[in-house]
Amino acid sequence: MKILLEKLIINYPYFAAVILFIIGALTVLTRSNLFKKLIGINIMESGIFLMFVAAGNIRGGAVPILEEGSSRSVYINPLPSALMLTGIVVSVSVTAFALALILRLYKEYGTTDARRIAEIRSGVLKK
Amino acid sequence: MMTVITDNLPVFVVIAPLFVAFILPTFARRLRLVEGLVIIANTLWIAGAAYLASIVLSQNGIPITYALGGWQAPWGIELKAGSLGALFILIIAGVSLMVSFFARNNLTEEVGSYERVARFYVLILLLGGALAGMAVTNDLFNVYVLVEIATLSCCGMVSARKHARAAEAAFTYLILATLGSILVMGGIGFIYIITGHLNMAFASQELGRVWQNSPHVVWMAFSFFLVGFGVKAAVFPLHVWLPDAHSTAPAPASAILSGLAVKGYLICLLKILYNVFGQTLMQQYAVQRILVIVGTLTIMAGSILALTQDELKRRLAFSTVAQVGYIFFGFSLINTKGLSGALFYLVSHAVIKSTLFLAAGAMISATGEGKISGLAGIGRKMPITVAAFTVASLGLIGIPLFSGFIGKWYLLLGSMEAGSVIPAVVIIAGSVLCAAYLLPVIRVAYFEPTPEVDVKDPGLSQKVALIVLAAAVVILGILPGPFMELANMAATELLVLK
Amino acid sequence: MRDFILKQVASIILPFVCIYGFYVILHGAVSPGGSFAGGIIVGLSFIAFSTVYGIEKCRAKLPEKALVWTESFGTLWYGIMGMAGIIKGAPFLANKLAGIDVGVPGKLISGGLISFIGIGVGIRVASTIITLFFTMMEEEL
Repeated sequence: MKILLEKLIINYPYFAAVILFIIGALTVLTRSNLFKKLIGINIMESGIFLMFVAAGNIRGGAVPILEEGSSRSVYINPLPSALMLTGIVVSVSVTAFALALILRLYKEYGTTDARRIAEIRSGVLKK
Repeated sequence: MMTVITDNLPVFVVIAPLFVAFILPTFARRLRLVEGLVIIANTLWIAGAAYLASIVLSQNGIPITYALGGWQAPWGIELKAGSLGALFILIIAGVSLMVSFFARNNLTEEVGSYERVARFYVLILLLGGALAGMAVTNDLFNVYVLVEIATLSCCGMVSARKHARAAEAAFTYLILATLGSILVMGGIGFIYIITGHLNMAFASQELGRVWQNSPHVVWMAFSFFLVGFGVKAAVFPLHVWLPDAHSTAPAPASAILSGLAVKGYLICLLKILYNVFGQTLMQQYAVQRILVIVGTLTIMAGSILALTQDELKRRLAFSTVAQVGYIFFGFSLINTKGLSGALFYLVSHAVIKSTLFLAAGAMISATGEGKISGLAGIGRKMPITVAAFTVASLGLIGIPLFSGFIGKWYLLLGSMEAGSVIPAVVIIAGSVLCAAYLLPVIRVAYFEPTPEVDVKDPGLSQKVALIVLAAAVVILGILPGPFMELANMAATELLVLK
Repeated sequence: MRDFILKQVASIILPFVCIYGFYVILHGAVSPGGSFAGGIIVGLSFIAFSTVYGIEKCRAKLPEKALVWTESFGTLWYGIMGMAGIIKGAPFLANKLAGIDVGVPGKLISGGLISFIGIGVGIRVASTIITLFFTMMEEEL
């Protein structure tokens, strides 16, 4: 038990990543507001980003920029951060596209609630 | 000049469509030019793909490795154009050439203004480039980026129509597909954390050594990949977005989405399962059992749900779900016959389903009726379209001499070899159900009395596209030759890694 | 007269914001940040301009055609720079292998192709973010 707790405390960034991931997943799956769904997606993505960045971190490592005369020998791994930059770019474009779609839906139905939209549509179909 | 092309072929087949895609928006107003350029680009692309396939065939399936920027494997991004990649790129290029032929002079009524049509072509080319990239990449993070490009362009195509329904379907698709790609990214993260590599070959080497240290992480990676790609490829419990998205998109988009986009994710899953984890780990974690169960469930559920639809495009969309089940099931068979059957089935389904969707689109836009009952007697008014639809349906059912048969036959042989009987029964039952949901459409189209309405026959280029695709279904069935050989080589290559 | 202060402050600050964006783009090869971050800053300076002065004024400065052209150009630039390697007989996107002088680490002109590619990407990101903003504000989805 003590070892488990120790592991948890040492690896706290991963723990935070898991919590973020779960919050995001819960928001996406349970909320019917389209904006909240989108925010949930973004929170989930941040969870994964945090996991990657934490994987690249080395305790006591320096920023991986080569400077003349620097005596540091341990640098953190820059690759995961670079990858997550790509991930952030992707998530920006997903968010922008989703916002555009939400705007279009709002113009059509006058609401951003998925349940309301389904109701309105089924009403339309009945007519 | 020739050596330059030969040396750089793996990268050319990926960047050529992307390059053309970004030229297009600059002269969006001149639609003829855009369409001509897309067709020329696709023709060049298919020539490159055929050349790549011939090189791979002449080398007996030894892949061409290509280090981007000259940075060698563990540090740089590596492309690996083997038989799997050559086969898949050939089929992407072929289908998207035919689809762009079909879309000529035809998109403005479905999509809107010239600019919107040009943007639609941009999305088609982007999707093609991303899929080609998935076929040849050997780098895990590249897989994520390409999957994300493909997803965004698919969503763009789904929302191309100006309906509210289209926007809704696109939003559902976007949310679920992004959920899937987040899971895929998570899986890649787990592999990176335990192995320290993103290159597939190096990661799998390292994974073979260290997986016992962190068995739960490997489990998590497996499940993240399965669920992530499962959402994207629409296997049974996760297929909810597919029918809406594929049936509200314009006809060329549905053809590409059903025929190609879904296959790209399946190819990625296949590569990750066999090239990164390897068959020993798959058997260790009983992943192939999960694949069997999910595959057979998907076949049955997709077929039965397809039976209950009366809208033609929705029926075809559910049929796609069922066919993904076959491919998924094929992935679970760890033997050459089963895998090559799955790959050949993937190819033949790409051709067949795009024919079906294009023919359905032509029929629906001619009659203005989405229901199957509205197509009464249409077979006499638009003979070529309905004939192509019939040929493709027979292919999908799996009648001998049509391409679907060979894939299903090898899947059956593979499942016999693996000693699983129930899946074999499910394959046959799926064929029967497929006949049950496709043949009534043909019956209605040919044998019901014709109402007195004017039906607009499709134009010449649409007819050409349909004839070529239907001919491809038959040719793949009679002379599978090089395609089967490529599929065989790919299966052998996937099974090399223990 | 209502937003006099806002307009004055914006007119002083925004040019510097824009230039800072270009600074970040150009220093992408030697320091943190780079073409994406810099492009976003450039784009945001235009977005801030259009929120303060109105979209029409920003549209007058950046016609749609210019945006479309820069967007396509930025991406094509990446491809063309990648082709430089192939022309020299090295792989796609080759840098030092293609015989390009990569300079001294830490100096502004270093990294060979990377800085050049960065300029294209930065321009592309900026024009994309502006296009996104305009499309959403004008609701021509």
